[in-house]
Amino acid sequence: METALTSAFGAAAQKITAEEFDAIVRRHQRRVHRFLLMLVRDPEEADNLTQECFLRAYQNLSSFRGESSLETWLLRIAANLARDHARNRKASFWKRLLGLDDEAENGAAAHVPSGDASPEQVLLAREDVRAVWDVANQLSQQQRAVFLLRFVEEMELTEIADALGLQVGSVKTHLFRALQTVRGKLRDLR
Amino acid sequence: MNSNENAHDPLVEQALVGFDLAAEHHIAHCEPCQTEREKVAEALCRFGAANREYANRPNSFWEQQAESIRAAQQASVRRSRATLALVPSVVVLLLLGFAVLGRAPGVRPVAVAPPLAQTDSDHELLVGVERAMGRRTPLALEPATLMVEESSGNEPLNSTDESKERRSHEN
Repeated sequence: METALTSAFGAAAQKITAEEFDAIVRRHQRRVHRFLLMLVRDPEEADNLTQECFLRAYQNLSSFRGESSLETWLLRIAANLARDHARNRKASFWKRLLGLDDEAENGAAAHVPSGDASPEQVLLAREDVRAVWDVANQLSQQQRAVFLLRFVEEMELTEIADALGLQVGSVKTHLFRALQTVRGKLRDLR
Repeated sequence: MNSNENAHDPLVEQALVGFDLAAEHHIAHCEPCQTEREKVAEALCRFGAANREYANRPNSFWEQQAESIRAAQQASVRRSRATLALVPSVVVLLLLGFAVLGRAPGVRPVAVAPPLAQTDSDHELLVGVERAMGRRTPLALEPATLMVEESSGNEPLNSTDESKERRSHEN
């Protein structure tokens, strides 16, 4: 939700104090970090990129015109950073070989909320989460970003389009294809 | 045939993507599609919840991260200030450099005068134009005018004006 502080951020970007910037970091860091963690699937890299994301935001305050929400703008910076990171990641081959790339997949599966479910139901739910992650891993960087923003961040299609600089139609197409694959994978499981 | 493998596949995805009234209308009246949509939606819901839970960190983590970001931001501000502080020194050095170079022998600028021949020809052209304008008769009719003057024994018609103008310009 936009507040007086965040809406003033666009108009008087250059005049923002260190305390005001700190307040913005505290308000948005959880979502930015989570999005980056889902995209890069490496907690350490997600930490570094979150820091980089806020630093870039501070350095480019003048380019924020308040056309989208502050959070959408931050997520756009995060998505660009993750894309650059994926391009430059030299160790990806070794990470994949050692299975470190599956960190988020296994980590998320271990965090399936159990509630009153039986052990068997929890096991099935974990399989589902792994299957969906498996599909998400096969998607292109942009498709994965769209998919995660929709189903993890639960963002509206227009917000996703703003955050990734896409048309709403393209967001729908990316989601449609991703969902077809998810359905296929879930069908194979049962 | 498995109830999940029905002919209405794209409609389930379309409904899950959202805002597709035709797909919603179909699913409302098609039980296999309804079941299928619920299954996929449930899996996606679990996926989202599990990932949000996985990405959750204790408060101390967020405090530490905010602290690191603040430190990095302040370092960035210090770097920009240091760069800005260097600008006047660089400008002064450049000005000094130009001043030293400007005083070096052989580099003084030489005043460029217009070529003398060009000024003379311009002046002559101007005199010619004024002379032609001052004539009472056009140049083509001059022989006829001479004949008239000779026959009448008068003084030349243009002589006074021409001599005046010649004097004014040739001075």
